[in-house]
Amino acid sequence: MVAREPIAITEFALATCLGAGGRVHAEALRAGRSGLAPCEVYDTPFTCYVGAVPGLEDCAPPSELEAWDNRATRLAEAALAADSYGRRVTAAVCRWGPERVGLVLGTSTSGVEKLETAYRARRGEEPLAAEYSMRRHNDHHAVASYLMTRLGLAGPCWTISTACSSSAKALVDAHQLISADLCDAVVAGGIDSLCLTSLAGFEGLQLISRKPCRPCDAERDGLSIGEGAALLLMERAADGPYRLSGAGENSDGFHMSTPPADGAGAAVAMRGALAAAELMPSDVGYVKLHGTATPANDVAECRAVAEVFGATTPVSSLKGAVGHTLGAAGAVETAMCLLALEHGVIPGCVGLRRVDPAIACSVPDAPQAAALKHVVANAFGFGGNNCALVLSR
Amino acid sequence: MTLRAVVKTAGFASPLAPDLDAFSVLLGGGHIQAAPNWNPTLACLTAREARRLSPHTRLALSVAEQVAPALPEDAGWVFASSSGEGETLQVILEAISRPDLLIQPLRFQNSVHNAAAGQWTIAARRQGPATSIAAYDETVGVGLLKALMQVALEQRAVGLIMFDGPLPPPLHEKRPVDCAMALAMALAPASTAASGDLAVIEGRLVDEVPEPLEPPDNASAGCFAETGNPIAAAVPLLSAIIGAGSAAATAHVIRLGVGGSRALHVSVEPVA
Repeated sequence: MVAREPIAITEFALATCLGAGGRVHAEALRAGRSGLAPCEVYDTPFTCYVGAVPGLEDCAPPSELEAWDNRATRLAEAALAADSYGRRVTAAVCRWGPERVGLVLGTSTSGVEKLETAYRARRGEEPLAAEYSMRRHNDHHAVASYLMTRLGLAGPCWTISTACSSSAKALVDAHQLISADLCDAVVAGGIDSLCLTSLAGFEGLQLISRKPCRPCDAERDGLSIGEGAALLLMERAADGPYRLSGAGENSDGFHMSTPPADGAGAAVAMRGALAAAELMPSDVGYVKLHGTATPANDVAECRAVAEVFGATTPVSSLKGAVGHTLGAAGAVETAMCLLALEHGVIPGCVGLRRVDPAIACSVPDAPQAAALKHVVANAFGFGGNNCALVLSR
Repeated sequence: MTLRAVVKTAGFASPLAPDLDAFSVLLGGGHIQAAPNWNPTLACLTAREARRLSPHTRLALSVAEQVAPALPEDAGWVFASSSGEGETLQVILEAISRPDLLIQPLRFQNSVHNAAAGQWTIAARRQGPATSIAAYDETVGVGLLKALMQVALEQRAVGLIMFDGPLPPPLHEKRPVDCAMALAMALAPASTAASGDLAVIEGRLVDEVPEPLEPPDNASAGCFAETGNPIAAAVPLLSAIIGAGSAAATAHVIRLGVGGSRALHVSVEPVA
């Protein structure tokens, strides 16, 4: 992407059902491990597997910020603690000054889990509990506001909520904030927690699998919901090892929850990302699919990938490993792609047994060693909202 | 980098003033009969299709329609709203409070913050990039900042849509917004300014925590601020943009919060 000087991804941290931090995720990528398990967080009237982040009971916000406590801010805390990310951001704030460090966070549901609890506890038409605060607990911007306060940032700050493409787009806005010289560094990422709204909503769409999801598999029958937090740090003129070197954003203009069968919008997004990065399709060593494991989505996306990259570029979905982390997916899976770049591994498509014959892409079922320089990461959301990123080492 | 854009046209919708002309009358000190039960009519959808959308989404689409003719096919769309889909949120919260957890599929897909952005691109068959952003009481400032950034960096025309409306009880008392409001601007790279355009705006960030809302120019304008609607923060800006096209135009500077301790200073000038 056009930038007067290099902008690097200098730090990142993530927490998913696989655990917290880079090491556990790199090991899981190499081993092809899944963190999906039968749902225990909620007693749902339907069977499902979820990717629940372990140990959130020990991730309460610091006491002075306990009024912000909810599952989403606990996920934020899990990411801040991972790999000393929080301390590294503090160092960046010292380096650039707080007013030059911004924050862009992608989330689909923010802290709605807290509001669900408040509604379920409510009797009849009585008001919500006095201690419930929309601003701190559930507003779309609640988690971003929490992180601004928590990290002592004073730059521009907003929340992107375009469903499952939210946090991929947050990374694009972070890059733009630095390119436009409005910030020197930006904390960018995504956070979404498990909640009944997502579980019951996708069940209502008949898109929840009864088993751990199996992206690209001939017998795939829906998704597994996950939760996660991934925070990256982008900095100006830094010689960090990773870059967001291109992005393509567009709209299908077709349907709220189904892509066109040929994946036309997805193809435009990927071509746009390649053009912005000034790369040829053959420069890309791996395409990280959005890969939700619904029958319609995977085949449409793979048609688009095959059209842009041909049939030989390895592709896989990470959702068999961490579930669909919804608004956090773009950032969570970007962080996993950075680990793939660092460790030279093409992630296997966890859960895959037999590739759908309708998919004309090369989908490895197990991880493969490979020296990667550029990878493409897709994130698509409700509303036909598409975002493709090029991540480079 | 200079964040400069030309405002090709603008739109407004609210029960307080159903369109931009009525908004101008109010701002000019005139009287518009408030119509609490007013609802926008949409040209881009059939009445039947429109009924499936929430009032907030219909409101957003109505101002998008007002500015769309001034924007090319590849325009970007920035939808800025603090609450997004309040009414659908309420329906879903009630559904998940029942043991069967049954949520209607249409309700769920329209519950996302970008329901308005998505429904707009579908209804208008627009395939440019669309985003949906929120920042509580600073939603207007960040919406404009993102739009200006996109115009300048991508050299692309952008439709900026800002909207919020009342939440149903019991959410209302936690976020009191008394009246719906939506406004829109068609922005384009400043190099494309032409006669008939409304104004040229330029934004820069300064270290200053701004006042939450600019004091209204007159008593009529005060009615917008009193609604508690975060989109009212854009009323002075829209007023200056409309004024920039008048014979007695002078340059204005509007201040908007964008998070942290930074403020966006927006200068509004007549088209040269």
